[in-house]
Amino acid sequence: MLEAFLKALLIILYATFVGFMFMGIIRKVTARIHRRIGPPIYQPIIDTIKFFSKKENITHGVIYDFGIIFALGATILALMFIPLGGVSILRAYGDLILITFLLEIPMLGIMFAAMSSGNPYAGIGAQRALLTLLAIQVPLGFAIVALAEYYGTFSTYEIVMAQQIHGWSIFHLPLLLAAIAYDIVLQAMFGKEPFDIMIAPGEISLGPMVEFGGKHMGILQIQHAIGLFAETLFFSNIFLGGAVVMTFASPILNTLATLVILLIKQLAVLLIAIFISTIFPRFTIDQAARFYWKWPTIIAALGAILASL
Amino acid sequence: MNELPIIVVSPLIAGFLAWLLRVRGIREIIGVAGSLVPLALLIKLYPSLGGRLEFTINVAGFKLGLMLSHLTWVFSMIAAVVGFTAILGMVSTARDNWEWLFALMSLTGVLGVFMAYDLVTFFISWEVMTFASFMMVLRYNRHASLKYFILSIVGAYAMLIAIGLIYAKTGTLTFPEVSAIFSQDAMTKMMGGPGLFTKTETMLIYGLFLLAFGVKAGMFPLHVWAPDAYSETNQSYTAMFSGVLSKAGVYGFILLYILMYGKLIVEFGHFRSAPTFGYIIAFLGGLTIIVGGILAALQEDIRKLFAYSSISQIGYILVGLGVGTALSIEAAIYHAISHALFKGLFFLIVATLIYRTGKTEFKDFGGLAEKMPYTFAMAFIAILSLAGIPPLVGFTSKWLIFEAVIHENLPILGGMVFFGSAIGFVYLIRFTYAVWFGQRPSDIENTKDAPLPLAIAMGILGALNVIFGVAPGLVAQELNKIFGKTIIAGNIWELDLGFGRYNGLLLTIWMTIGLLIAAIIYFMGARVRRVPVTDTYQSGNPVTMEYNLTIRRNFFLPLKEAMAFWLRISFDKLYHDIWQSIEDFAETARNYIYNGNVQAYAWYLAIILIILAAMGV
Repeated sequence: MLEAFLKALLIILYATFVGFMFMGIIRKVTARIHRRIGPPIYQPIIDTIKFFSKKENITHGVIYDFGIIFALGATILALMFIPLGGVSILRAYGDLILITFLLEIPMLGIMFAAMSSGNPYAGIGAQRALLTLLAIQVPLGFAIVALAEYYGTFSTYEIVMAQQIHGWSIFHLPLLLAAIAYDIVLQAMFGKEPFDIMIAPGEISLGPMVEFGGKHMGILQIQHAIGLFAETLFFSNIFLGGAVVMTFASPILNTLATLVILLIKQLAVLLIAIFISTIFPRFTIDQAARFYWKWPTIIAALGAILASL
Repeated sequence: MNELPIIVVSPLIAGFLAWLLRVRGIREIIGVAGSLVPLALLIKLYPSLGGRLEFTINVAGFKLGLMLSHLTWVFSMIAAVVGFTAILGMVSTARDNWEWLFALMSLTGVLGVFMAYDLVTFFISWEVMTFASFMMVLRYNRHASLKYFILSIVGAYAMLIAIGLIYAKTGTLTFPEVSAIFSQDAMTKMMGGPGLFTKTETMLIYGLFLLAFGVKAGMFPLHVWAPDAYSETNQSYTAMFSGVLSKAGVYGFILLYILMYGKLIVEFGHFRSAPTFGYIIAFLGGLTIIVGGILAALQEDIRKLFAYSSISQIGYILVGLGVGTALSIEAAIYHAISHALFKGLFFLIVATLIYRTGKTEFKDFGGLAEKMPYTFAMAFIAILSLAGIPPLVGFTSKWLIFEAVIHENLPILGGMVFFGSAIGFVYLIRFTYAVWFGQRPSDIENTKDAPLPLAIAMGILGALNVIFGVAPGLVAQELNKIFGKTIIAGNIWELDLGFGRYNGLLLTIWMTIGLLIAAIIYFMGARVRRVPVTDTYQSGNPVTMEYNLTIRRNFFLPLKEAMAFWLRISFDKLYHDIWQSIEDFAETARNYIYNGNVQAYAWYLAIILIILAAMGV
């Protein structure tokens, strides 16, 4: 029991650190694309420390605090279920549907907190976030259906193991289509342009985040970091073959190699998202809904139908 | 004499007594006791479920029977538990003895439907249920009640025709005999022999049953009565109306499987891995999810929102039933249970809100979470449960339906249920935002928390939502007994389908750990200072309570605009038009046939005589 708990703590620390690095990479790469130098890669960590060292924080009530805690707690919970090579805690229960749901829950917490502040910008942000969620759910659903039907199992770990034998998912046509749709969905899950409608800096003053400051914002930074890590990890696991390295004799070396391979795959997913986000302007919410219900849905549905034949 | 008739009749007797004794206080006690008797007796009968629990009586040449099997026990328990909490809620919200009589009568009806042993008992109970619920709506809104009544009557008489067809061919009405004849018929047909029922007759019976049960369940496109009827009545009663009475339709579909499964498969074959007739139910169920969900998001009235949400959730059950494997039917029954639990809870919350504030529209609410903390806590449980957030019961049952549907390689249905889970999220947040959070209008400044009976009722349903979510095996193992074999393996904490596993307890533990870690990080920061709602960012401008800061109207306008084309197509309008033309026709017939001209009547007589002469009489 204690061992499992320590392992979980290590995973959380690793995920938080890598997540913060990802956030730094996003800022750095975006800056380089704009021909700027950009902040140092550890900038998000400094930001977060600063948020926590504010002398005074404000609150609008119990839900305002609890929503934030709920968001971070749910993100940590989601992380526990996603296989991280051979390390993860609950990978036996790492069910595709469960993880898909768990990755959405943090949004609920953030919105509860944001709405309890009573700010109209938060309200409009919540509305946009919900409609984005509704829009991405259709292609996302078809992509998950395609995966489950192709492999005949819902266990993420078993899907990773199957890819060790049969090659990565994206090399099979139905799953390639699903992966394309899922990648377009990821753009909205990360909250990156052209689908960062829920936050929309410059348009609606950060939407749900508008009222948060101090430690609330700090916790949301940590949540965002772990969320980025979890979402990229999930994509790498189900579409890019995950990683289970067993070549070395020492288990520690194996684990390290696994983590390195996974990290490279996660970075690849992240970089695609950054490249897209830096060159596309934002959609409006109804454009986003129509877009997601058209092309990604058609692609993913085609994948799902091909996978079920 | 055994307990079965007591279970069914006791609510009716109690309702009648409560109606006679117009004494406030006593009628409440009698009513609650009447709804408690079925619950107590059902629990008492649980250990003897394996044996034959039957009761028959000869009335007017028909053998009327009741029986209790594992399946009917599960459904009766839904009725008894949610019925009891709804009646408890009515202690606070009922306005007169009329409501006591008919609310308890509809509980009798629905228990009769679930425990019926033959088609006559089934039909009589069905009519009692329909009539009682119609009378409940009638007091509040005549138009809504008539709409409900006419659609229900169309459904009920469709069922009567189907029963007549079955009786004409088979000569029996008890479920086991009818079922045996149908499966024998299917066998004959498979061998190539002439069946007892032709393909057309089978299709007709199926279609009539689909109409009958579809109306009650609120299946698209027969759902139009539900939003009006659910909203225009006592909201405590709606907890039972939506939680239990709609399950009668669901139970009807299960009955269709019990009676005619083999025959329908032989006649219509399979569509992919699902039986064709089931796929039709499932596809309509998928449409029900989508239509109900989107319309729920666009409502401006709490009662309407939950009425459409109820329709949407019934869609899940129909999808599960339609797919037709043992697992998917079990998942559907599981969702029927969890829908009754969380939707019962939701309507009790709505009842509390209306009882305390007297308002129903979103534009009048706001910021109630501080004034009604207990009700908000219950709403929080219900929201998490309906939106499918683990570890509550709503997630478990939805998860089972997802897995059961997708495992059968039915991608389109899979996409539909995914959409349904997102839209559930969407309309619940709208409810949360407009009612509980933000600025509080000054006229609901002094709202008190829930009255005791409603609070107890909500507490019971809330606790069950949590318990069945953390220990999903409690329900699953009970459902396994319906089929007599292990379909969902695992223990009381864990569900194991072979291709997917879910563990409620482990998930709860790790969620607690995650929340603890988050809470530790939170408490490491500096102290918080409480600020009022008006101390907020408004593009750097000062705001006072005169400004309306909370978006209460047309929250999902972009959705409405994106869906504008589809929203123009309304079945409600279609039915209204059809009904209008029937009324016009009746008017025309009256004007032309009963025209008040004596000579015209003489001519009718002459025409009849000519016809008789032509027939050679």
